[in-house]
Amino acid sequence: MVKKNNTPPKLAERLLLWFLKEQLAEEVLGDLNEKFYSEAANGSLRRAKLNYWHQVIHYLRPFAIKSISSKTQNIMLIHHLKIGFRSIRSSKSYSIINISGLALGLASFLFIMLWVNDELQMDNFHSKSQQLYNVYQTIEEQSGNLNGSPNTPLSNAGALLLDSAESEIPEVKMVNHYATGYELPWGFPKTFRRGEKLFKLSGSRASPNFFEMFDYPIIAGSKQAAIKDISRIAISRKMALMFFDSPEEAIGKTLNYENNLDFQVQAVFEDVPQNSSLEFDYVINIENQILRKVEWASHKIITTYLLEEGANPDEVSQKLSAYLSHRVDENAGNKVSVGLQPFKDQYLVSGFDNGKPANGKMAYVKLFIGVAIFILIVACINFMNLSTARSVKKGKEVAVRKVVGSSKSLLVQQFLSEFLLMTLMAFALAVLIVFSLLPAFNQFTGKQIELPLTELWFWASLLVLAFMTSFAAGAYPSFFLSALVPARILKGTVRFSNRSRLFQKGLVVFQFCLSIMLLISTVVFTWQTNYIRNSNLGYDKENLIYVRIEGNLNPKYDLLRKRLNSMPGIALVDRSSEAPHAMNFETADPINWEGKQEGQVVSFKPVSVGFDFTKIMDLQVVEGRAFDRNIASDSNAFMINEIALREMGIKDPIGKWISAWEKKGHIVGVLKDFHTHSFKQKIKPLVVDVKEDLYFGEVIVRTEPGKTKEALASMEQVLEEINPDYPFSYKFLDAEYMKLYKSEETVSNLCNLFAGLAIIISCLGLLGLSMFSAQQRTKEMGIRKVLGADAGHILSKFSVQFLVLVAIAFLITVPLAWLLMNDWLQGFAYRIDLSWWIFALVGLIILGITLLTVSFQSFKLARINPARTLRSE
Amino acid sequence: MKETRLGEFEEVILLLVGILEEDAYAFKISDEFEAQTGRSVSIGAVHSTLNRLSEKGFLNSEMGASSPERGGRRKRIYTITALGHRVLTEAKDFRVSLWNQFPGLANG
Repeated sequence: MVKKNNTPPKLAERLLLWFLKEQLAEEVLGDLNEKFYSEAANGSLRRAKLNYWHQVIHYLRPFAIKSISSKTQNIMLIHHLKIGFRSIRSSKSYSIINISGLALGLASFLFIMLWVNDELQMDNFHSKSQQLYNVYQTIEEQSGNLNGSPNTPLSNAGALLLDSAESEIPEVKMVNHYATGYELPWGFPKTFRRGEKLFKLSGSRASPNFFEMFDYPIIAGSKQAAIKDISRIAISRKMALMFFDSPEEAIGKTLNYENNLDFQVQAVFEDVPQNSSLEFDYVINIENQILRKVEWASHKIITTYLLEEGANPDEVSQKLSAYLSHRVDENAGNKVSVGLQPFKDQYLVSGFDNGKPANGKMAYVKLFIGVAIFILIVACINFMNLSTARSVKKGKEVAVRKVVGSSKSLLVQQFLSEFLLMTLMAFALAVLIVFSLLPAFNQFTGKQIELPLTELWFWASLLVLAFMTSFAAGAYPSFFLSALVPARILKGTVRFSNRSRLFQKGLVVFQFCLSIMLLISTVVFTWQTNYIRNSNLGYDKENLIYVRIEGNLNPKYDLLRKRLNSMPGIALVDRSSEAPHAMNFETADPINWEGKQEGQVVSFKPVSVGFDFTKIMDLQVVEGRAFDRNIASDSNAFMINEIALREMGIKDPIGKWISAWEKKGHIVGVLKDFHTHSFKQKIKPLVVDVKEDLYFGEVIVRTEPGKTKEALASMEQVLEEINPDYPFSYKFLDAEYMKLYKSEETVSNLCNLFAGLAIIISCLGLLGLSMFSAQQRTKEMGIRKVLGADAGHILSKFSVQFLVLVAIAFLITVPLAWLLMNDWLQGFAYRIDLSWWIFALVGLIILGITLLTVSFQSFKLARINPARTLRSE
Repeated sequence: MKETRLGEFEEVILLLVGILEEDAYAFKISDEFEAQTGRSVSIGAVHSTLNRLSEKGFLNSEMGASSPERGGRRKRIYTITALGHRVLTEAKDFRVSLWNQFPGLANG
């Protein structure tokens, strides 16, 4: 006999019975059964089951399907829609407020979700994306601090390990290294030349299998040969077109690099897409760094592993760390372990907390998902409140319908379909808004988002969202309305029960809580960003232009300085080994000083400068003096900053010796602390020396105020004269400084926008509610007027009820917001204080907006002619 | 009156009903169709055609016997009506007349 699990799939049978006409059930089930058993007897059971499903689905034919909606139901649906449409039209102002409020909310939701989706898509286009992991290192300092960094440990054993990972750890299928720091992804552009053509482009160095691991499609040349050896280069389509007529033509041709080496183009790849966190125009073999001395060794190498499918990254990183600890010298000081981070996370999770990847833009993405949901909830509450409020008008209709025998479920159906109709209109409007404002939004956020209008999932999720919204927003009013008792309504007007009034008020309060929360966050956020932007850095960042040191700029520096100083518009010239706003290099090791304790570790930012550095940057010297060109020993002198002084733990620093690398000299001065990098980090100890032969870094030029144009012309002329093999390129320090806060800037802008929208939506709700309330209270106010109340009295009488609600919301939100914001601000090393007046300001704004919203209705009420409103009684 | 034209697939199904006689029900017909033509067809498609042929008046049907592999359910047995016979004959005559006019293969 047939075993139990050998029966046809139950689910398919249920599906069939659900749609199949009842009179066909017996024969069809019989036929399908027979087919199933004959198949099961001949072949595999699985196939038989699959075939059963196949057969069931093929019964989806007009002749066999139950007519889902009988004719009467069809008529009812049309009826519902007609009635819905009429009722939408009959109360225009309500409908406009309701639909536009929801549309605004939805549009904001869509905008935020498009942004979030775009952020989440970052680096997702690599076909092996799921198996790609970046190696990061965690250094346990002697103090016990865990310090994480995305760089591959380059100690001898570390490098050895990472190079042999493929053979040591079976899960690792492919290893790729690429250099960052001086190249990817910040890109110090390099000069390429072909004949007369001279361009600066940024790129990176990578292992030969770079193009096999990552999906940057090759459009000319071959993937394998691309960067197989150190004389070859792969360039982007854009770069190919800069030098050649077509990508194909570029293959086999040579390009000169930095006036030094020739590279043969072996492959042209498609321009790197927007959603790639690695940005580059060329790739050369990473061995170049060592073998051809392309540049002094970069201290930042990123390693990406391609793991076997299904390999557990935690296990792999444990194996790696275990292996590493075998090989590293026990006495090496800091303990290093390594971990793996999914490659596609590196864009959103870019920071480190306690040695592990954490923080970064992910926080903003989460924040905005929250905001999107907030706004949608606020919009839904609006809809709900307004619709419930409107039931006064609908009360009579409901009563009459009930009296003539309409069932409760039919009423619910009718109202839900009306709400669905409104929601769909709101959706259409929202899509229209998004569609027309997308270009502006893109400009605002610096993205290139497109509406996925051709994608099915977009429309499907939109539809699901529409149904969910209309249900969330329409369920309560529908059930509320259908539950009204006709006898009572027909006797008098609709009176809300205390409970439903309370519910309504509760919703308004909740809605305003959310909006106030958003507003407070925005104000604090904007304040903090402004604080960062405008606070005193400790130096004057205006009127500074800098040019990278390359070619002849170092060997002919004295000539350069003399020539520039004689040109119009230029106030001062100096140089520095690191850009003043982004001193990234940090080291503890080769730096010693008089009085250093045994085992004392201070991590310094070392920077080599010219003699005029303090002057050109407008730095303050708090102790001792600045470097002096006329004192011969100053070429070996050092300056430190106040923090360094504190951390070094020495007193009377002037005259004490310091040694760093091959240099030993005395401290001549202490600089007042200034910000050497972004505000998110604390100012670090700084050690400054003078270097006469500075072959890397920046030449800094201070222009005379208001003479930027002349200065640039002068610089161009002098640089072309001294450094003809390199195109003139420059950066403004203040603009570059602002770039450090690009993501904060965007987020702050978005916050402003969406907090504004949330407030507008809430106010639309308040407006609707006040309209409703005004309607209900016309008679009351009429009587008050007759009894001698003046307009002012009526105004205040009417407005107070709403002000109370908003005030309650405010009181609930403030402590919450205070806690939340305080927590957020802790993430900044330098931050504003949360003072009471920020909250007072928000309170005043909200109060003002509420009054403004309500006043329209209250004025209308105050001006009514009681004779007319009271007549009907 | 309903349309009486006979489509190609309909013609084959109608013939199969005639061939299968007592066994002419949807599953068997689809099975036979697959066996004879080597083309696969779903029972639903056959059933739909049988239904249409019945509506055109070419087929009659009544519930037949049940069997254990059908889970004790009865089957609907189809039989060709007189009208069905006539349409089939007409279709055949039409083809034969066409074949006879085809010079390359006439009487072949």
